[in-house]
Amino acid sequence: MMNRLNFRAVLLATTMSLAGLAAQAETLRMAMGYDPVSLDPIATSDNGSIWTQLLIYDTLVRPDATGEKLEPGLAESWTVSDDGLTIGFKLRDAKFSDGTPVTPQDVQFSIERAASEDSGWGRFYRPITSFEIPNDHEIVMHLAEPFTPAFNNLALFAAAILPKAEVEAKGQAFFDAPIGSGPFVLKKWTRGSALELTKNPYYWQAGKPAVDDAVLEVVTEPSARAIKLEAGEVDVALDPPLNQIKDLQSKPGVVIGEVIPYRADFVQLNTRYAPLGDEKVRQALNYAIDKDALIKGVLYGAGKPAASAMPVMAYADPDLKPYPHDLAKAKELLAEAGYPDGFEAEMLVDSGIATQRNTAIALQAMLSQVGVRVKIQMLESGTQWETTKAGNYQMSLSYTTSDTIDPDQIIGFVAVNPERANAYHTEWKSDRLNDLYAQERQTVNGPERGAMFQDMIRILHDGAPYIYLYHPATVWAQKDYVKGFSVLPTSNFRLEDVTIEK
Amino acid sequence: MLVLKNLPRSPAGAIGLAMLLVTLLATVLTPWLSPWDPYALDFGAAMQAPSASHWFGTDNFGRDIFTRVMAGAVFDLRLALICVFVPMAFGVAVGMVAGFFGGWVDAALMRLTDIVWAFPFYVLVLAIVGVLGASETNLYVAFFLVNWIGYARIVRGETMLISRLEYIEATRVLRFGRIRVMARHVLPNAVTPALVYSMSDVVLTVQAIAAMSFFGLGVQPPAPEWGILIVESIDYMREAPWMTLFPGLAIVWIGIAFSLLGEGLSTALKPKG
Repeated sequence: MMNRLNFRAVLLATTMSLAGLAAQAETLRMAMGYDPVSLDPIATSDNGSIWTQLLIYDTLVRPDATGEKLEPGLAESWTVSDDGLTIGFKLRDAKFSDGTPVTPQDVQFSIERAASEDSGWGRFYRPITSFEIPNDHEIVMHLAEPFTPAFNNLALFAAAILPKAEVEAKGQAFFDAPIGSGPFVLKKWTRGSALELTKNPYYWQAGKPAVDDAVLEVVTEPSARAIKLEAGEVDVALDPPLNQIKDLQSKPGVVIGEVIPYRADFVQLNTRYAPLGDEKVRQALNYAIDKDALIKGVLYGAGKPAASAMPVMAYADPDLKPYPHDLAKAKELLAEAGYPDGFEAEMLVDSGIATQRNTAIALQAMLSQVGVRVKIQMLESGTQWETTKAGNYQMSLSYTTSDTIDPDQIIGFVAVNPERANAYHTEWKSDRLNDLYAQERQTVNGPERGAMFQDMIRILHDGAPYIYLYHPATVWAQKDYVKGFSVLPTSNFRLEDVTIEK
Repeated sequence: MLVLKNLPRSPAGAIGLAMLLVTLLATVLTPWLSPWDPYALDFGAAMQAPSASHWFGTDNFGRDIFTRVMAGAVFDLRLALICVFVPMAFGVAVGMVAGFFGGWVDAALMRLTDIVWAFPFYVLVLAIVGVLGASETNLYVAFFLVNWIGYARIVRGETMLISRLEYIEATRVLRFGRIRVMARHVLPNAVTPALVYSMSDVVLTVQAIAAMSFFGLGVQPPAPEWGILIVESIDYMREAPWMTLFPGLAIVWIGIAFSLLGEGLSTALKPKG
C-alpha cells in the first residue's frame, strides 16, 4: 500500500516537473509560405528573407504597429535639421546576441554597406554622404543635398545594423549564422524546411521576447498550412487558403486575423505593345473589370478595390475613386481608339499562387465581354519576373508591397520612368510625374509633400499603365492561446510581444 | 473489316467500344444535355454540390463541372488521338523501311531510335515543352518527336519476320515492286501489334497530357482540359471534392475504355489456328 502511494507520488512529481519544464521552454510554431533565400539584408528582396531578418536584426528606427509613424529602434531618439541635411541619432544601450555592445561604428559600417555597389538597395542610402561619431552613443549623418526619404529608408530591413567586426572577419559566412541585436537568434536553418530561432538573451527590451523559441516552418502549400494548424502542429498559419477561412473560423480554438497591408495588385500593361500604347485602350480595360466581383469571388471578401498601383498609405487621397465597372464606357473608349472589336493579348501569370491563377481566369472572362481576347500564359514566378523585366510581354498579373511607411519607395518603382524599373516595366512615362517625384524628394514632410504624392497618384490613375485590381488583405489563422500576434502593414510580423497562454 | 466484325465477339472489346461511344455521344450531345456555358463565370453559384441542375456540381467560379468535363473530353481525346496516331503513322513507315531493306538503312534508323529511347519519356517531353514554351502546338511537337519510336521498333521486328515468309518470297519471284509489296502484303500484317500497342499508348498519352497541364506545361486555362480541372481543384479539395473527383474519374473512364478496346483488338486480330 505504502509502496503504491509512493509510486503515485513519484509519478505525480515527475509529471509536474515535466509540465514545469514544458512551461519553461515555450515555443511558438509558425507556418509560412515563403522559403527565405538569404539573411544578408542588402542582397534580398523576397518576403521570406525580409521577415526573418527583421526578427534577427534591428534598425535604427522602425515603423510602429499602425504603420503611420516611425518609432525608436536601436536609436533612442533623433534630430533632423531644418534643411534636412543632418540627421543625428542617440543610440540606446543595446547588445548583439554575442554580448558585444552596438556601437556607432557598427551603424556607420552597416549603412555604408547598404549603400555599397554590392547592395540591391544602394540608391536608398547613397544620398548619405558622410558620418560623424561624436561619442560612443551618438552618430550624425550628413547629406550633400536634401533627400526626404533618407530618414525613412533607415527603417528598412536593408539598413539593419550588423556587428562590424564579425561581418568583416567572416565575410559571407556570417550570414549562415548571423548575429544581430534583434529579439531572436538563429539556432538552426534547414533550408526549404524550417528556421529555428531562440531568444536573444541580450535583447534591449527587458523581459522580451516572451516566448523562448520560435520555429518558422516553410510550408509552401496553403492548404497544408491550414491542416497543420488544425492538427495542432503549428500555432500560427500565415496566408491560409482564402476559400477555407469560413470553415477554419468555425473550428474550436482557431481565430482568424486580417489586416490590409501596404499592397496593391494589378495587371502590368506593356505600353510598347501597340493597342496598349493607347491611353484610351488602357482606361477601357480598367472600366471593363468588375472589381467587386473579383474581391467576392477570388478573395472571398478579403480586400478592397484599388484606384491605382499605389498601396493606400501615407498621403493617400481619400477622394480618388477606383475605375467603376462600366462596360458601355469601355466599349466606347475601345471604339474611339480604333479597336471596336477588341484585340488579342497574352497575360503572364504566376502558376504557383492560387489567387493569381483564379484572378487571371476571372479577368479573362471579364475582358472577353469587351472583345479583348486574353491568352493566359502560366509561368514560374522567377521566369515571369525575368520576362517582364526584359520587356517581352504584353500583360502580366503582378503586385507590389511596401516595406516602408513612406510612399517614395513604391511610387519610384511603379510610376517613375526610368528611375528603378521603368515604371515597373510598363515603359509608361509622364514627365510631369517625374518632375513631381524629384521635387517630393527635396520637400520636407508635410502637406506640401503630401499634395505632390496625391498629384502623382492621380496622374498614374489617369494614365492607367496598369489594370488596377485590389488591395488584398493578409490573413492568418492562429490558435486562440496565442496572444499579441499580428501582421504589420509592412507585411512582416514581430514576435517579441507574443505570449502563449495555454 | 475483319476487325470490326470480330471485335464485338470479345466481351472486353465490346465493353471498351461501348464506353468510348457513350463518351463521344455525350460530348456531341452536351449542348442539349446541359444549359450551361463551360466558360461563363457566375460567382453567385460557386462551389455547389452535385444536384439535379448541376450533375457534377460547380467549381469555384460557378462553372458547371459536367459541362466542363464534357468539353474537356474534346481537348483530351483530340490531343491524345493526334499525339498517338500521327507519330504512329511515321513510326510504322520507318519501322517497315528499316525491317524490309535491312543493312545500313536499318542500322541508321535503329541507332536514331536508340538515341531517343535512351531518355525517359517524361523527361524528354518535359524538356522539349520547357524549351519551346507551353502551348497546345508545342505539346504536339513534343509528342511527335518522342512517340513514334515504339512503333518503329515493333513494326521493324514484324517486318523482318514477315519478309522471310514464303508469300513474300513469292512476290519477289513475281517481281512485284517493293512499294507494292510493302503496302499491300507486309503492312496489313506488320501493323497489327502496333495497333494493339496504340490502344495502351492512348491511355498513357491521356495521362501524360493531363500531367503536363498539371505542371502548367500543357494546354492553358481556361480550357477545360482534365489536367487543368484537377490542378485548379486542389485548393478546394476539402470543401468541394467533386471538383477533383469528376475530372479524375473521366481520366480513369477513358483509360479503362481504351485498355478494354486494346484487349478486344488483340483478341480479334489474333490469327486463328
